[in-house]
Amino acid sequence: MVRSRLAGLGLLLLLSLSGLPAVAQQVEYERQVDVAPSEESIGEGYVTPEVQRPRPRAMHWQVADVVLLGLAMLAAAWLALKSRRRAGLVALSIVCVAYFGFYREGCVCPIGSIQNVAVALVDPAYAVPYYVIAIFVLPLVAALFFGRVFCSGVCALGAIQELVVLKPVNVPPRLDRALGWLKWVYLGLAVVFAVLPAAMRDFVICRFDPFVGLFRFTGEAWLLILGGVFLVAGVFVGRPYCRWLCPYGALLSVFSRYAWRSFSITPDRELDCGLCTDACPYGAIEERRAVRTDCFACGRCYRSCPVHHADKADDAARPAA
Amino acid sequence: MSDERSRREVLGTAARGAALVGLAGLTGVLAVKANKTYAWSIDITKCVNSKLGALGVDVCEACATDCVLTLSAVRAVNEFSECGRCYICPAYYDITSAVGPDGLPSEKLCPRDAIEREAIGWIDPDDPANNFYEYTIDEKLCNGCGRCVMECKEPAGLGSIRLEVRHNVCLDCNRCSIATACPEEAYERDALSTV
Amino acid sequence: MKLETNRAIASNQFSEALRGVALDGEGRVYAVGDSSVKVFSSEGELVRQWKTALPGQCVAVDDGGRIWVGEFEQVEIFDAEGRLADTWKDAGRLGLVTSIGIRDDDVFLADATARWIRHYNRVGEFLNNIGDRHRKGGFHIPNGVVDFAIDADGILHVANPGMHRVERYKPDGELLGHFGRFDGRDPAGFPGCCNPTNLALDSSGRVVVSEKAGPRIKVYDPDGEFLEVVTDDLFDPAAKNMDLAVDAGGRIYVADPVALEIRVLSRRAETVP
Repeated sequence: MVRSRLAGLGLLLLLSLSGLPAVAQQVEYERQVDVAPSEESIGEGYVTPEVQRPRPRAMHWQVADVVLLGLAMLAAAWLALKSRRRAGLVALSIVCVAYFGFYREGCVCPIGSIQNVAVALVDPAYAVPYYVIAIFVLPLVAALFFGRVFCSGVCALGAIQELVVLKPVNVPPRLDRALGWLKWVYLGLAVVFAVLPAAMRDFVICRFDPFVGLFRFTGEAWLLILGGVFLVAGVFVGRPYCRWLCPYGALLSVFSRYAWRSFSITPDRELDCGLCTDACPYGAIEERRAVRTDCFACGRCYRSCPVHHADKADDAARPAA
Repeated sequence: MSDERSRREVLGTAARGAALVGLAGLTGVLAVKANKTYAWSIDITKCVNSKLGALGVDVCEACATDCVLTLSAVRAVNEFSECGRCYICPAYYDITSAVGPDGLPSEKLCPRDAIEREAIGWIDPDDPANNFYEYTIDEKLCNGCGRCVMECKEPAGLGSIRLEVRHNVCLDCNRCSIATACPEEAYERDALSTV
Repeated sequence: MKLETNRAIASNQFSEALRGVALDGEGRVYAVGDSSVKVFSSEGELVRQWKTALPGQCVAVDDGGRIWVGEFEQVEIFDAEGRLADTWKDAGRLGLVTSIGIRDDDVFLADATARWIRHYNRVGEFLNNIGDRHRKGGFHIPNGVVDFAIDADGILHVANPGMHRVERYKPDGELLGHFGRFDGRDPAGFPGCCNPTNLALDSSGRVVVSEKAGPRIKVYDPDGEFLEVVTDDLFDPAAKNMDLAVDAGGRIYVADPVALEIRVLSRRAETVP
């Protein structure tokens, strides 16, 4: 009764405000008797079946994603720091693009999780689940130990770009450095838009993710085109998104500065030949040393290094001790 | 090992330790309230397919067409306890189609044939109109187009069918493309206790 | 569909609900809604009104001029001046009363909770159920009301909307027959999940029915042959369970639950044989 009275009032209010004729939308329906037949009247021991309730998020997927993320980063660290083989890193990139990219369709990813973490820190009503926390934190922890192994071949966005670097040209270092500031601007904007009041909140990293549409084979046309442009450009300019735009890359560049063990190029038996510098498509080798904040641990420098090859050949020739 | 080098290493270790402590603190702060979680869900009082009074309007199929998943994360759900178990269910049959020789509409409503119809309880051996029928939606077939929801709505039906987000399927995108497409802003992201 | 007269009475009289309409021998119109009974002259003037104990679901006037109002688990009986004369309860049996028929010594109460019609005598003694031969526990009413009318021979004509039929019963509950079938295209059939929702008989035994989704008024001859659609565009699409009454002149009184007024419809002379 009260409800229908309120509805009546609402109707009157609406009428007076809008000047519209009868507003059917305001009709409250009466259910004075239980119109759905009861189990008794259906008879024959009928029992109302369980309604298909929305099931909780599939826990096993969350666990699998976190575990695989951790394992993939460990594998990348081992391949980059210990095994020192580019072929293994390429294989890892393919696997991660296939799983995190095409199979899991690019969600959840640490890059986007920046926004959710930012909102959760600012908005008391907002929370992120455990696995999003893990996905945000793990690559940063990994960077503190092994450098940017997440970028190496684990991040689907990074790995898909890694795989298309075919004819890299050198970007002038000053331009490279200047463009590198963009990711900080992007990071700042992403956080600002994310922590706006809920009604105005926008997740710009996800909104302008150029690759997620490719992983999902659907999306806004201009974003798909942008993703294609990034990939085509990436054939000649190594990983443009990672180097200049990725907001999570900005964080990783800070954390990797203090890496416990980081990528290094056979420093003990250096030839001063500079082949590695030329081989790096990311301009991350300065004075024949990998710049740990910029190095994506792709392993191209190993492949170009005559000393490294000599070592590996020795290893192969030497009988197991 | 030179002094300068060892000093740099000490500083690096300190910075690394500080960063780890910082990350641990961040994890702690986030984990404290991680017991509830945000998920997309549909407000059925806003969804044009289910909201009362939205009569004679076209069905909105944004949930089926706009989800990034191949088969949308949205499903139609029949709340059995509210279902009238009608002989001729306007959500199951296309009730405007021609009547067949059995006295039933000749066509079904669901374009994916995702609804099953079965007589339940005591069955009248002579008169199929005198039975109650259970309408079960096959989640594997349903893509959440909402046609049955629209047809089951009061006053044509009892409104026992509604659209729900399947959280086990939903990717929980920050930029949910259904939410972007939803004309009624019925697609909301909220803290759910059940997820 | 050619309406000669189409006027409304009881406009602006009800604020929440209008559920029942009935006529007496002198053409006065009785309407129940909200929690009151309102009596109008045949010209539509408000003559009298009074409160009911519970929201009234239906109304009937007996040959003595007493007004019977069906409510939840009870029936209130008022004299012509609106003074409460009696209250019937039948604890454990009677649920929501959505239609009342009184004839000679018999009182029939449509019980939407049990989905049967209860047959009492004039002093309130329960005699039998009508409609319980359906082992499904009664009439199929996804729409929520049971409505019926009694013809000159004392036969009950009951709307069984879930089965898309109008059924005929003797007072002892014996099913005499039925007419009607589902059809979503042909107006001769009953469309949707559950129609007709309400029913009334005119003086020559024709069956006037109301339907929901979309709301329309139709007429069948006493044998169940479809005669015509009286109107299918007069009511809000949300209107359902529109109660009906027919006066001696063949005018149809429809309780419009959305506009909260009683529409008075009469067909053009040439369509009335």
